Amino acid sequence: MIRVEELQKRFGALHVLKGVNLEVQKGEVLVIIGPSGSGKSTLLRCINLLIEPDSGRVFLDGTQVNRRDIRPEWVRQQVGMVFQSFNLFAHLTALQNVTLGPVRVLGTDAAAAEAQGRKLLDRVGLADKADAYPAQLSGGQQQRVAIARALAMNPKAMLFDEPTSALDPEYIREVLDVMAALARDGMTMIVVTHEMGFASTAAKRILFMDAGRIIEEGSPEEIFHRPKQERTRMFVGKILR
Amino acid sequence: MPSASENQRRSRVRIVDILLAILVTLGILAYILDVLALRWGLSTTYIAKSYPNYLKAAWISLYVTTIAYFIGMGIGFVLGWARSVQTLPLARVMAARRREAVAAADGGSPGAGLFLGTVFVYSIKYYVRRTADAYVAIIRGTPLFVQIVFVWSAVIVFYPRLDPLFQGLLSGVIALTANTGGYQSEIFRAGIQTVHSGQVEAARAIGLSRWGAMRYIVLPQAVRLVIPPLTNEYIGLLKASSLLAVVGSVPELTTFGRSEAFQTFHIFEAFALVVGIYLLITFPVSKVVEWIERRYRVPGLGIQAPRTARV
Repeated sequence: MIRVEELQKRFGALHVLKGVNLEVQKGEVLVIIGPSGSGKSTLLRCINLLIEPDSGRVFLDGTQVNRRDIRPEWVRQQVGMVFQSFNLFAHLTALQNVTLGPVRVLGTDAAAAEAQGRKLLDRVGLADKADAYPAQLSGGQQQRVAIARALAMNPKAMLFDEPTSALDPEYIREVLDVMAALARDGMTMIVVTHEMGFASTAAKRILFMDAGRIIEEGSPEEIFHRPKQERTRMFVGKILR
Repeated sequence: MPSASENQRRSRVRIVDILLAILVTLGILAYILDVLALRWGLSTTYIAKSYPNYLKAAWISLYVTTIAYFIGMGIGFVLGWARSVQTLPLARVMAARRREAVAAADGGSPGAGLFLGTVFVYSIKYYVRRTADAYVAIIRGTPLFVQIVFVWSAVIVFYPRLDPLFQGLLSGVIALTANTGGYQSEIFRAGIQTVHSGQVEAARAIGLSRWGAMRYIVLPQAVRLVIPPLTNEYIGLLKASSLLAVVGSVPELTTFGRSEAFQTFHIFEAFALVVGIYLLITFPVSKVVEWIERRYRVPGLGIQAPRTARV
């Protein structure tokens, strides 16, 4: 479904990605962990071309997409993204946040988009908040709207960039539940997170990244309990405590 | 957060305050009028007879101001957007293109045409931005009066055969448009830059184009933020339109008042009318805009009711 080959990215003198390879099958959930500054967020943004990689190839369904003749907008329509800081459109209600993409990008008519939007808000448990503005929602609710907004584009895959790390502890559960339900429904997902519970139950594979490289790859059991690399062991030791 | 009834009570208090203030002001004005009319002999018959002519002159001021304001808004938005964009240094753009071309050609030598194209597009963007910067610096750094006199001189020298009224209107609209365009670009730049960068990222992430993100996400938020300074700009521009009196051939409000004062010697009457009409226009404008602002207010965006501390 998604394949990344030898991906490199520099920001000025900073070498953020030093040749990353990964592959995700259809319906698979891949979790990426790693210390901050290891390039996880940049990697996600290179996959949906929010950041243009310097070199390397990104494939979506077998087609290389980081090419001059492919519009990045076309790629982003098919790969949904959920951000750490939610980034809901502040001047739009929850429902309008969800319907904007279908109406303005896909050209869906307003009534159909609204019906679909309400269904999606119901799916994330927020049917009654359709007319609330982002500032009137809790962090957990905002993040669930953000997931619904991404789903409204009918994406082939979803990228999650630390979706729960900006949340108060009491709201983390509700967001993870929505993500777990998505995973059960067969959504292809790449999730950057440090939620060990979610990673263990939802993901078959975990990647550990450090300093722009993938250091180790394995099942949750292997990564969390029998890591082979010293760096992985130190990092996992810190987050498991 | 104050409760709804508390808010209602407060707004009633505000209305009473405003009415009181208006009454006091009117009282003072009435007293001044009384002094002027009865003791100095201010001619009420002159005012009653000639105020329609003043209103006609005020319409000209309003037309010129409004036309300049809205054309200037287009200029201001484009310049403000251009100036709000962060551009990378050419060296980095070139380095990225080179890496890309090398990767695409798989070791072969990349074509020079691609690089020339990059340099061309880049220089256009760069100079558009620098030109916009220079334009704003010139407009903001020189007196509007000088700008008007300059445009007017240019028009009468290069198009001497045009009708004097048209010469005046043309130079007035050009000068005011150029001026307000520069100022409004600063307002738009601030508004656009204030919208959080995460909003644009989220917009691009659902597949909106650059222009789509600007139109559906950034602008609606930026416009809410810049309504107050844009209103100020309109009121300021209306008052600045009185500088067109220097042109002489445009019978806008100030020009008309001046000529009436000199021709009829009803100096106090003339300027009472001029001042009164300016106030009559500017006061409702700010009220109407306040109403628009409330109407489109969105929770969590723009000016908020203070929660705890006041500055």
